Amino acid sequence: MQIDWPTLIRSLFSEEAALTAAVVLLLTGVLLSYLTWRWTHTLFRRTGINEAVEGTTFERTVARFGTSTSGIIATLLAIFVYVLTAITAFNVARLLNFELFWAQVTRNLPGLFIAVLAVIVGLIAGDKSEIIIQERLRSVKLPEVSLIGATAKYSIYYIAALIALAQLGVATTALLVLLAAYAFGLVFLSGIAFKQFLTAGAAGVYLLLVEPYTIGDEVRIDDKRGIVQEIDMFVTRIEADGEEYIIPNQQVFRSGIIRIRG
Amino acid sequence: MTGLGDLLNDVVEEIDAVLLFTEDSETFKRFDADEINTVVVGTSNAVDAEQFVSLPLQFEEIDGRIRFGIEGALDQELIEETDEVVCLTSSFSSAIDSIIRVEADQFTQTGLYDLFVNSRADADVVRDVFEVAIELGKKGQKGKPVGALFVVGDAGKVMNKSRPLSYNPFEKSHVHVGDPIVNVMLKEFSRLDGAFVISDGGKIVSAYRYLEPGAEGVDIPKGLGARHMAAGAITKDTNATAIVLSESDGMVRAFKAGELVFELDPEEY
Repeated sequence: MQIDWPTLIRSLFSEEAALTAAVVLLLTGVLLSYLTWRWTHTLFRRTGINEAVEGTTFERTVARFGTSTSGIIATLLAIFVYVLTAITAFNVARLLNFELFWAQVTRNLPGLFIAVLAVIVGLIAGDKSEIIIQERLRSVKLPEVSLIGATAKYSIYYIAALIALAQLGVATTALLVLLAAYAFGLVFLSGIAFKQFLTAGAAGVYLLLVEPYTIGDEVRIDDKRGIVQEIDMFVTRIEADGEEYIIPNQQVFRSGIIRIRG
Repeated sequence: MTGLGDLLNDVVEEIDAVLLFTEDSETFKRFDADEINTVVVGTSNAVDAEQFVSLPLQFEEIDGRIRFGIEGALDQELIEETDEVVCLTSSFSSAIDSIIRVEADQFTQTGLYDLFVNSRADADVVRDVFEVAIELGKKGQKGKPVGALFVVGDAGKVMNKSRPLSYNPFEKSHVHVGDPIVNVMLKEFSRLDGAFVISDGGKIVSAYRYLEPGAEGVDIPKGLGARHMAAGAITKDTNATAIVLSESDGMVRAFKAGELVFELDPEEY
């Protein structure tokens, strides 16, 4: 595209006209980048991203420089648009002879832009996820739970860095292998850790949907007999005289239920 | 101004504890450094205080708020019955504007704190049911006053000591009190007579239940109707708590172990 435009314009216009066209293009670029800047600001405000990123470390760091996340991304987009139009304009006016260099720049510019964007989004998403996880786990008064938030944060950082590096054309195969190993380990370990929960949850879905027994029924599961007090996703609570059995749902399934009527 | 200062000094002199009704951490921090025994009272522990009493309702009236705070603090043994307590709370604005000195044993225990904390059902569930009852009492059904009876907790036993009056609209549904849509549903279903049965975890087990507990030895104040009698009796027979909205006088009453423990006027909240 960029190669075609100058030849097309040159075949249509004279040298002076081409120069005028380049100036017009430059001015349009200024206008376009300003519009992009404004539009990004409005978009960020309307979609509530401004509120969403509030309180993250990145936002606070940026605020110290007197701008905001939306400000930085808007400026970035504006610069991107402006540089693109400027390059086109230079091409049209044929002011530059080292076309090959510029063609290379135009080819790499989007990649660079996406890399910067990935780093920013990664930083914010990582911070935000840590904040959200910590809010959720605030009632758990255990110092070790902060590990979960930190793990999530650094995982997101790592993935963002990987995307950015890949955009820049750096060889990331080794890092990718590391990521795969990490992801596999995570899935594998949590699979082992949550196996009981998964089976109980699956059984619980059936019990809640079909309700073979409900609250108030007298049932016997294994040798535990009593009145059903509560059924949830993972456990069934059965109460007998002075004893409350809390039975995992997969056990209900495995041993079957005996409803006692009459 | 010295006269006023002296008077204020007299009020806060030789107290044993401070009840701080706030959710503002700035206010709390000013007390944290002090040596005085400070108990924070609020609907949520926003300031991360170590000594905290949770308010189940937004008490509009200062009287109820302070009574509940003191009862809670006594129950958790944060203060003692012989203590002199100063309550810092807000009457007209959202900031702290009132200083009230009370003796911890000044009030007879209403049992309200006990009702929330030591019930079989979760405190949140009891609170949600209270809120539904209060809202129902305020607005009624299409402007007309309605009555309602909620039996909370020990649902299995309650179900065994009752029978259905009609098809149960909550069968195979998994709604909990406190879900946004539930208030409307409960309001609609309160038109038909019968009790709502709610489990310990807040699941609405059934509506339109006719309670059949043994009513011997249930002592409720004279003048209350069959609904209140049923509520008193079922709580004597089971470990449930019953919350009743009276159709005739619009009051919300709570029963536990066969006794009326608490009553409040919905218009005050």
